[in-house]
Formats: sequence, structure tokens, C-alpha cells
Amino acid sequence: MGNEINPLVEFAVHQLHWVLLFMGTVYAFKIRWILKHPAGKDRQAPTGEANQTSKSGAWYSLFSIAMPWTLNSYREKPMMYVQFVIFHICVAMSITMTIVFSYRPVWLSAPATIAVIQVIYAAGFIVGLYRLARRVFSPVMRMISSPDDYFSMALLVVWVGFSFLVIGQAPAFAVAIGQLDASQVASTQLNEIPLIAYYFLTAFFLIYVPFSKISHYIFYPFTRWHFGQTMGHRGIYPLKRIDKMKAR
Amino acid sequence: MGKTRSYKAQKVVDLMKAKTKSRQIMLSLESCVKCGQCIDQCHYVLANPDDPTFAPPYKADKLRKFFKAHEDWTGKVIPWWVGARSIYTDEELEELKDVVFGKCTGCRRCSLVCPMGVDMATFNGMARNLLYSVGIMPEGVWAVAKDQWEIGNQMGVLKEDYLDTLEWMEEELQSKHNDPSIKIPIDKKGADIMYTINPREAKYDPRSIADAAEIFHFAGADWCMPSEGWDMTNFGLFVGDPSLGAAASSRLYTAAQELGVNKVVISECGHGYRSTKCEGPNWAKMDLDFPMESSVITMLDYIKQGKIKVDKSKNSEKVTYHDSCNFARSCGMTEEPREVLSLVCSDIQEMYPNRQWNYCCTGGGGAMSMSEYAPMRLKSAKIKAEQLRATGAKIVVTSCHNCVDGLTDLIKHYNLDMKVTQLVNLVANALVVPASKMPKVMKEVSMPLAGKKILVIDDEPDVRIFLTKIFKENGCEVFEAPDANQGMRIIRDKNPDLVSLDMILPHKTGEKLYWELRKDEKYKKLPVVIVSGYTKIDDPKIDFDAFLEDKGIPAPQGFVEKPIHPDVLIETISGVLLEKV
Ligand code: SF4
Ligand code: SF4
Repeated sequence: MGNEINPLVEFAVHQLHWVLLFMGTVYAFKIRWILKHPAGKDRQAPTGEANQTSKSGAWYSLFSIAMPWTLNSYREKPMMYVQFVIFHICVAMSITMTIVFSYRPVWLSAPATIAVIQVIYAAGFIVGLYRLARRVFSPVMRMISSPDDYFSMALLVVWVGFSFLVIGQAPAFAVAIGQLDASQVASTQLNEIPLIAYYFLTAFFLIYVPFSKISHYIFYPFTRWHFGQTMGHRGIYPLKRIDKMKAR
Repeated sequence: MGKTRSYKAQKVVDLMKAKTKSRQIMLSLESCVKCGQCIDQCHYVLANPDDPTFAPPYKADKLRKFFKAHEDWTGKVIPWWVGARSIYTDEELEELKDVVFGKCTGCRRCSLVCPMGVDMATFNGMARNLLYSVGIMPEGVWAVAKDQWEIGNQMGVLKEDYLDTLEWMEEELQSKHNDPSIKIPIDKKGADIMYTINPREAKYDPRSIADAAEIFHFAGADWCMPSEGWDMTNFGLFVGDPSLGAAASSRLYTAAQELGVNKVVISECGHGYRSTKCEGPNWAKMDLDFPMESSVITMLDYIKQGKIKVDKSKNSEKVTYHDSCNFARSCGMTEEPREVLSLVCSDIQEMYPNRQWNYCCTGGGGAMSMSEYAPMRLKSAKIKAEQLRATGAKIVVTSCHNCVDGLTDLIKHYNLDMKVTQLVNLVANALVVPASKMPKVMKEVSMPLAGKKILVIDDEPDVRIFLTKIFKENGCEVFEAPDANQGMRIIRDKNPDLVSLDMILPHKTGEKLYWELRKDEKYKKLPVVIVSGYTKIDDPKIDFDAFLEDKGIPAPQGFVEKPIHPDVLIETISGVLLEKV
């Protein structure tokens, strides 16, 4: 590592893999817990058309989120889907960038790459704020929300905000850790305060996630798979004649 | 010191722990991210936009909170943070009852849009089962479940009444076609088909049995109906009870095995079809070696294979098709009924949304047996009513008996100019009978009650529909009331010629109303016929004779016992009214 780097940042970067390991371990326990629950067997004879089997139903169910036309709510409110996609891409990118930024910042040295990422962060940040506001101001959303729901959302918004601020420092950080020559970047100046805040926030985020609602993506494949298996076996998934369902 | 828990609450907690061992249920309870996507998919929400307590995730949270308090990692350590809370009192169980029985029909519309795959209907069923296990449920649900346990069918139809009805329908068919060879075979060993029905058909809608028999006869089918195990409905589904589910479905499967039939045909009923074909083998833990199919498929095959001929011009009124939630959303039956409809009707108007996204009839999940929630149900039916009205159809067709009742009730409530029917009725009506089998003599119809005004007071919508149908077929003008107070108002406003009065009514009993009428100078001679299934054997508190004696009032002009035989009813009513004349 270069000399200019703040020891706190250095410390945080060095601890990141431990934090990731902790998160992975908790997830492993969670998955074990899920698998300890026996999955029910469907004895009924398979029904439906040739392409409607438990397996095709399960795959269809797993990827239905990528087919918004199969989900009535998104068909009715396409903007909800757009913001859902933006937000989830942004969060997935933030997690990936934490690792890339820490270990291979050189990959983020091109200004165009940083600009694209920042646009996604900005969009995700705005959507996140909207989602938080919706949760706070809509009576029904308020009624179904727990402190964890607000906190998880607020945490994500703040974290994405910091990610936006920090990502621009990737070239300087690459220089600081010796992956890039100083002559190849416009500035080698690291803005340490947001960087330190970002790393500690990231560490907190990664430790908190497995215990919060943000960990829903661990459940997602299981829940959708089993739901889809039943729906496929009973001749519902893949849905037939979607074109006729709503069109007038 | 920990909070104390009532005996029932403790039992529910213990049972919940056992139930959530199933991965599918556990996942549905764990996975909700409170995204709100499902909220405005629920008809209760759409009809009550200002009441957030109808939102599916809010309703689900009533159970989820308490699952989290016991099973979820974070919920056990910092419950308040994730909204976890256990259940302690009987009052809380009562609240849960109002949610899982009164505010959700288990229609699964929300499940189909949930990006996470949360299956609200499945765990709502589980929650119902927890409450049912400690005796907390709407009274009507208890009565129906009890009948299914005790008598073997959910409407308490006795074997002799069922067989009588089949015989009666057989005679009707024979006389309609002037053909004594038309039969409704019973317990025919080795028959190709065993036809199973909803007890509602035996009790209130025998015409559907006759229509199905007519179709089987003209298709040349080798079929029969069993004398036992003929009820394909299953209240186990509505109370989420696998034991009742197993008891009811295995009765039917055993009948099929004993008769050695090749296949079981299930008459048009959404929950019956789902219970018998899909859930039953799981509940009964039986791997069955005979296929089961809906009568919709059977009828479609008969038409397509040319076994029966139909003429769609015989059904020329504009029809629309309502998808039953269980039939469409839980069993994928969306295209087959439409295909039948297109073959037997000439003017079809699709309703929107349709198929898996259609709205619930609002009578699903056993809601028709929960009279305490009827006002809420009918308010929530506004969405369905608007959907029906927009079609401009005169007839709404559905392949579900529950939906027939739910829709009939809302059509009346919202004053829609529509009637409800099933595919079997339309197919039978469209049948082209081979010339050789044409009836030789048309039966002469006389209507001794034509023009009479009859008021039906009964809290069961099924019974009201049935009685109204019979009276209307006999030319009467009919008024309906679900309770004594509304009945009294109609008596004052409409001046009926006769009152058909049930004994067990909510708020004020039939006895009490009868007494009030007899005390009233104006109405003391108004003919009243008691139509009731309760006697002092069922409930010692109901000793009507002692009541009459005690109050010193004369006996009513007639009594008709439930289950009601239309001939007996008309005979009694005619006797009373014509004698009066
Ligand atoms: S759509 Fe699914 S995840 Fe979203 S609130 Fe409804 S049940 Fe929960
Ligand atoms: S299952 Fe149907 S009635 Fe129940 S909450 Fe979902 S949409 Fe509403």
C-alpha cells in the first residue's frame, strides 16, 4: 500500500473480508435452517399442458420477476417496476463495488465508468428516498412497517449516497494502493472522511444485513421455487393466455 | 416475570410451532419484504380504500408477528425491532379470527402478484386451522365442519334424502323425455365414471344433477353416482384442517376404489375440485390409481368427440364467465370452461380482469357460512359488482357452487339485472336430443300459487336462494329477509300473503318474531309456515310447542322440515294459501 493512505481506511479495507466472511457464515446458517424444514410433497397427478410441469413452473416462478407482464401489479403500475429495477440494480452494484473498490480500484479508473456508476447510484438514491417517503407517508405502508423496515431502507439510502461520493476516488485509491501510476490520474488526492465513513458504514451494513429484512434475497430463490413447483404441477405456471387477461 | 398466556393461546403457540415446520409455510411467513405490491390486488382493499387493515400484508402480519416472536432469529432477540409479538389472550385470538375468517377469502390473488412468492392463502389456511383447533371460528363454520365430520357431507344431507333426490330427478328426466330408460345409476360396480357432487346440489339445486344426468345419458356414458362418499366438497380446505380434509376426501376415494370405477368426475365446484383433485391425496396420504377430472373437461370431450350435439342458439342471451379462484388461480382451469361456453352460447362477453386475475366472487373460503361477516363481505363485493355490470351480460356463468351463491347474493345486493348459472345447465339446455328420443307429451304446468306474495325469512343465503327459486317457479312474487327485523319491515311495507320463517335467526329468533306477529292485531292472522331444520332433538332450548303453550298462541299454519323437498314445500304452502282463499 502507498504511504498516503489513512491507517483507519487501511484497517477497514483489511477487515472487509472478515466482515464478508461473517455475513457468509450467517447466511450459511440461515440456509441450513431453511433446509431443515421439510418441503411438502404434492401427490396429485400432474395437471395442465405439456409445458406446465413442476420444474418449468419453478423456473418460471424464479424468473417471473424479470417478466413484469406476468405480475398483474407491475402490469398495472409499470413505474413501480422501473423503480424496483433501478433500486435493486443499484444495491447489487453497491455491494459489488465495495469489493471492486477495495481490491481492484484500478478497474474503476476510467472517468466514463465512474460516470455510469454514479448515474446508477444517483437514480437508486432518488428511488430509495421515494420508497422511504412512501413508507413514511402512506398510511397503509406505515401500518405494515416495523422499525427494521424504516431503518433498512434509510441505511441503504445513506449507504448508496456514500457510495456515490466515494466511487469518484477510485483512481486516487488505486494510486494509493499501488495499482496505478500517479501520472495516469487527474488527482491523487484522497478525501478521507467520506472514505472512512463509507468503510465503516459498509462494515455495519454487511453485519446488519443477515439479521434484517434486506436478507430477503436468501429466501427469494427458495420461496419462489417451491411456489412455482406447486403452480407448475397444478397447471397454473407458466401462465396461459396472459395476452387475454387484461387487454380490452 | 414473563407474561402469562391463556390456555388456548398456549395451545395455539404449540401448534404453530409444529405447523411451521413445513418449508413452504415457513418461507411464506419469513419472506415478506412489505413492498406493498399485493395491497391493491385484494378486493377487500379495493372496496375499502380508506381502511388499511384490509391490506394483505397487514392481515398476514397478524400471524407473522407471532411466528417471528417464536421462530425468527431477530424476532426472538429484539422482537420490537422486526414487529414480532407473541399471542397471549383469548381476545387476541378472537381478533385473529376476524382477520383470517372475516377479511380473507384465501382467493390467492395477492399471492400471484407477490414478487417474493408469499402464499397468503396457504398460511391463512394454517392460521384458520390453529384457531379451529381451539374451537375459535365463526359459528357457521363450526356447524358445517361438524356436519362433514358427522354426516359425511358439509350440508348434513342424510343418505335417504340424497337417494330420494336422485330418484326424484330420475323421474323428472324420464317424464321430460317420456323415456323410462333414463337412469341415474347408483353404486354401479365397474362403471366407467363415478360422478360426485356438491351437497348444495342435492339440497338446493337438484336441477344440476338432472342436467348432468341428461348429458351422461345422451352421451351414452357408463356412469353412476355413489351412495356413500358422493360429496366432493371439503371444509377441511376452509378450516385448514388436514384431518377433516383427509376424512372427507378418503371417503370419496374409498367409494371409487370399492366401485372399481375408471375415473372420478367432479361436478362444477372450485373448492370441491381443488380439495378432491389437488389437496385430497396429500391430506389422505393416498397415491390414487384412478384419474379425476372436472365435469367441465368431460362435457368438453363429449361435445368435441360428437358424443352429444349442442345448439348454441338455444342459449342466446349475453353471457359472461366468472373464474372461480380455486378453479382458475389454484388449479389453472381457465381455458376449458371458456371453450365449453363458446360451444354452447351464442353471445359471450369477457369480463376484465379475467382468468387468474379475475376478482373473487367474495363468497370464497367458506365466507357464505359466516353470517356475522356478511355486511363486510357484501361491501367488499362492490368491486365484483362493478366488474359484472360493465359486461352488460344478462347471465354470469361460473364453474363453482360457492360462486353461484356469492354472486347471487351480490347481484341482489347491488341490484344487477343478471342471473347466475353453471356450464352444466347451459350444456343441458343446448342439448340437441335425437329425434327418436323426443318427448311425446309435454307436461302440463299449472301454477296454483301464481300471484301470491311470499316473504322468505332465513339467515342462510343458500336457503333463501333455493326457496325463492321454487316459489318463483310457481308464479309467486318473493321477498327475502336475512333476519327478523328486516322481515318485519317487509311485512309492513309489502303485505305478503304468507311468511316462510326460519327458527334460528341472528339477533332475534323466529319464535320471537312469530310471537310478535300473533300479538299484533293487524298480523295475527297472517299465515306463517315454519321452515326449519332445528328441532328440540338438535337443541333442547328450541321447544317450539312448549313456547306456544307458554305464550298461549296458536300454532303456525304449516311446518316444513329442512332439508326441503320442493314438492312437500309447495304442497304445504298451497294447502295453507288455498285453504285461506
Ligand atoms: S407483495 Fe409479497 S412481499 Fe410485498 S407486501 Fe405483499 S406479501 Fe409482502
Ligand atoms: S388471498 Fe385474496 S382475500 Fe386474502 S388477502 Fe389475498 S387477495 Fe385478499
